[in-house]
Amino acid sequence: MDANETTSLSGQVQALLVEALGVPAEQVTPSLAFGDLPQWDSMGHMEVMMLLEARFGVEINAETIAALTSRPAICAYLEENGHA
Amino acid sequence: MPELEHAFSPALLIPDFLVGEVQSKLAYVDENIRQAQVAPAGDRITLYLQRPADQPAITELEEKTQRVVLSMVKGAFKLKVQVLEDHLDRPVPYSSDPHSELLARGEISPEAEGIYTLGPLLSRLILYFESLFLELADTFSAEPYRFPTLIPARYLERVNYFQAFPHSLSFVTHLRTDLDAIDHFSQHAACEPDGSLNTPPDSFAPLQTLLSPAVCYHLYFSLADQPLPAGKVTATAVGNCFRYEAINLTSLERMWNFTMREVIFVGPKDFVLDNREAARVHMSRVFAEIGLAYRVESANDPFFIGEFRKQAAFQSAFQLKFEIRARLPFNESTLAVGSYNYHQDFFGRRLNITLPDGTPAHTACVAFGLERMAYAFLSQFGFETAGWPAAIREACS
Repeated sequence: MDANETTSLSGQVQALLVEALGVPAEQVTPSLAFGDLPQWDSMGHMEVMMLLEARFGVEINAETIAALTSRPAICAYLEENGHA
Repeated sequence: MPELEHAFSPALLIPDFLVGEVQSKLAYVDENIRQAQVAPAGDRITLYLQRPADQPAITELEEKTQRVVLSMVKGAFKLKVQVLEDHLDRPVPYSSDPHSELLARGEISPEAEGIYTLGPLLSRLILYFESLFLELADTFSAEPYRFPTLIPARYLERVNYFQAFPHSLSFVTHLRTDLDAIDHFSQHAACEPDGSLNTPPDSFAPLQTLLSPAVCYHLYFSLADQPLPAGKVTATAVGNCFRYEAINLTSLERMWNFTMREVIFVGPKDFVLDNREAARVHMSRVFAEIGLAYRVESANDPFFIGEFRKQAAFQSAFQLKFEIRARLPFNESTLAVGSYNYHQDFFGRRLNITLPDGTPAHTACVAFGLERMAYAFLSQFGFETAGWPAAIREACS
């Protein structure tokens, strides 16, 4: 990740996924989705959701847990909620 | 002054959707708890004790209880309830608790907490419901299986069972294969007044085996580490299941040792989901013919406190579990008599069960608690067979 990537929303989401899933940054591809990595299973997904709530202050509920199942979906949701 | 009852406020207000969940987990806080209640408003907890407790013991009880509350309530995700069918208002002719009548008739004989022998009426009812579930299995051409009552610890470890459900595990062991240990046991073994054996723990072999908590796990383990034969499997089996529920073990509603009939699907996602739905539609017709009052609604498994918040939220969000909840008219509650479950590719990944394209298999199962089914039926229809549906009356006569 370069400096621009770490400050862009996509870069921040990548960093969040790296931390929540405990995987190297290169494994968090732009289109990474739930189930693509063994670490992004049901438990990993809830780690992602809780970190998302803690870092970005967005509401996590049943609908978002079911919808935010890919890196692009997470980025889009954050943009819609004022984190562009 | 020692207390036999202790009421206090929870560290966090317990939201209504968690009141029942928290209350059920308080059964595991301490062996001195005889009963635990959470007020419907979630603002009061009352512990009823077996023996009087002094102030230090009360403080410890309260601290352990608050650990449960904080673990389950802090940052809890609101669980979504989706109702797929609601037939709770079907008229039923009976409204008394059948438990005392079952005892009086000798239809249930309690052997120990949560362990019952069942008499002819209950056994015939269970055979009848079994015939209905076998008809369901036949519609899918499900292959019959027979699974053991015991299950290796290493199997349950592989599917994260120890983290998710440690509170309900039942362990199996035997005397060490040592002549001295066996001789000592045969000469000195006796039961204490509370029913426990006086045998020293080091007489027993290491724990490698448990009593099985579910039927379908055995099928998944038998398919582990290999490609799925023909890309999909449909199976059915009945088996003994064991889930220890401490002071929650009451009547046939909640038994330590119970039996389940399952129809199990392993294969691609669409295959298992379509069949789970087809099973629900089939059983909806069957329950209508019986006249059973019930509802099908989304639910979550009874994960223990450390895993509850995350796992229950995930299960709820993805609508993985739907319970068939039969009405119990005597206390206007409902009882889960079965469930329609989808596990995504959890078992496929954990157990390396692969589809022909190399991706992990998905799994689903439809499960029916046989004793609960009979208990719910008697709760709604009573003991006067004249008021029973003709098919059941004939089958049980």
